[in-house]
This record gives sequence, C-alpha cells and structure tokens, in this order.
Amino acid sequence: MRPFAEWLYQTTPSVAIHSTLWLIRLLQATHLVTAGVAVGSGVMIALRALGWHRADEPFASVWKRFAPWLIASLAVMTATGIAQTLGDPVREFTATSYWVKLTLLLCCVLGTLLLARAARRAPMAELPFAARIIAVALILGWLALPLLGRMIGYDAAIWGSLSLRT
Amino acid sequence: MSVDSVLSSIQSSALAQWMRETNPAMQVVESTHVLAAVMVLGTVLIADLRLMGLADSRRAFTRIGRETLPLTWAAFSLAIVTGALMFTTSAHAYFGNAAFQLKALALLGAGVNMAWFQLLTSRGVAAWDLGRPPRAARVAGFVSLLLWAAVVLLGRWIGFTKGYDFAIPPGVELEFPGR
Repeated sequence: MRPFAEWLYQTTPSVAIHSTLWLIRLLQATHLVTAGVAVGSGVMIALRALGWHRADEPFASVWKRFAPWLIASLAVMTATGIAQTLGDPVREFTATSYWVKLTLLLCCVLGTLLLARAARRAPMAELPFAARIIAVALILGWLALPLLGRMIGYDAAIWGSLSLRT
Repeated sequence: MSVDSVLSSIQSSALAQWMRETNPAMQVVESTHVLAAVMVLGTVLIADLRLMGLADSRRAFTRIGRETLPLTWAAFSLAIVTGALMFTTSAHAYFGNAAFQLKALALLGAGVNMAWFQLLTSRGVAAWDLGRPPRAARVAGFVSLLLWAAVVLLGRWIGFTKGYDFAIPPGVELEFPGR
C-alpha cells in the first residue's frame, strides 16, 4: 500500500492539493463541520428507532426530517475526505484509524438503512431485539467516527504495534 | 497574582505534567474534544434550525429544546473538561494564541446570545411555539449557529497553528507530529 500511496502523492491532483495550504485547511474545516451534521443526524435516527427520542412521532417522519441532512453531509464528507486522502495519501493509507474509520462508516450507513427498513415495518411498535442492538451499535459507531478521524494524526501513539505506521 | 503566574502554575501543575508525559493522554483527550465539539454543533443545529423556522415546523420549539438541550449540555461539559485538560499542557501558548482568543470570544458570544434569548426573546414563546418564530428568535437562531460553527472552526484553527502564532520563513519545512 505504501508504494502506491507514494506514487499517488507525486500525481498532479495530489500535488495541487498538498501544495495549497488554504485548500487543505478548507477541506479539513468543512469535513469537521459537516461531521457535526452527519453524526447528529445519524444518532437522532438511531435514538428514534430505540424510542428514546421523539417517540411520539412515527419513525417515517423522523427519517424524513434527518435522512436528507445525513445524506447531504455524508456526500460533502465523502468529497472532502477523498480530497484529503488524495492530498496526503501516505499519511492516510498508513494509518490504522483511517481503515477502521472507513469500515465503520460503511457499517454505520448499512446499519442505518437496515434500521430504517425494520422501523418502517413497525412504525410505532417496539423494534425487535436485533434491531435495537443495531441501533445501540449505530449510536456508538457514529460517535466513534469523529474520534477515529482525529486519531489518524496520532496513529502510532493510539494503536501502538497495531499501527500500520510502525 | 498576575495572569502570567496563574498560567505558569497551571502549566507546571501535576495534571499538566501528566498530560504532557503520559502517552497517549493528549491524543485521546484531543480526539474526545473533537467528538464533543462535533456533538455540540450537531445538537445545537437541530434547535437552531427550528428557531430559524427552517425545520421541524410542526414540532413545538420548547419540546425540541427539552429534547436536545440535555445532549448539548452533556457534549458541552465534555468539551469543557477535555479543553481545560488540553489548555494545561501549554497554558502560555494557548492564552497568547489568536485563534484561541477568538474561540473564547465566540464562546462568550454564544453564551450571551443564549442568555439574551432565554431572558428576553423567549418570553412570548407560547405565541409561536407551534408556528413560525418571530424575527428576533430567527436572528437568535442564526447567530447561535454562526457562533457555534465559528467555535468549532477556530478550534480547528488552533490545531493549524499548534498553539503558536509565528510565520514560517519561506523555504523552511517544519514537521509537526500529528498533523
């Protein structure tokens, strides 16, 4: 992976990004602010599925309120995340936190879709036990994403011998 | 007691020393601070969008406040604790850092805006709780959103300066750990 990352670092798009300081900062700042929207929306959907938030509203209505924000913020985060990866591929690809974060993000998106399907079948009734477990896992997952994002910078200190940088 | 001596005693405290010397205390605390800031912004956004009349128009504003405020306060408390821990490690550098000073100002502004809203603007909330908020309330929501976004962005900016405000001479490459 490292040789590929080093090759990518030399490509024109990567050079354009990592040699433009204001662009890197803009990308990081946008990524961080939209994380607030994504994590907030993801957690609210999972809390509603558990019946711990807006239990008086049908799931569909809560989904309609938060899903567009979740989708839009994830789209911005994906775009800014790809640009940041392209700008500094060695830093990202050699971080264990980066790969764990991507895997967790995928799980959170799939889990939220699964949860929405289960909750739509029983709009006001209590969800099956398995769906409730997924909802709790989703809350923890969404909260772990910003943690892992920041930890990319400190990979060796956080992961020790498990860090891909060591 | 001067500000300088207070900062020195904070920076030389046992807690500050523990934060600086224990691996990975600073990294874990900083990452948790980011998570807390993200959650503050995410939950404030829900109440502010309702206040601005842009979302949840059929849900009472007071109800949304009751539902989201506990989460906002929990995240904010975590942000204060982790922020204070980070501050101890380089109290002098943070105190003199322009981004840190602006962040503190934005926090103060957000507090004043919230107090103003609670004490004055929200007095007649019963009249618009289920409807479109009046202009003063919409402005309060917009200002709140701007200030909290500024708090998060300025917090990120402190990271860009690593607590120090100085110009890097052209041609000199500095390697910061953790960037």
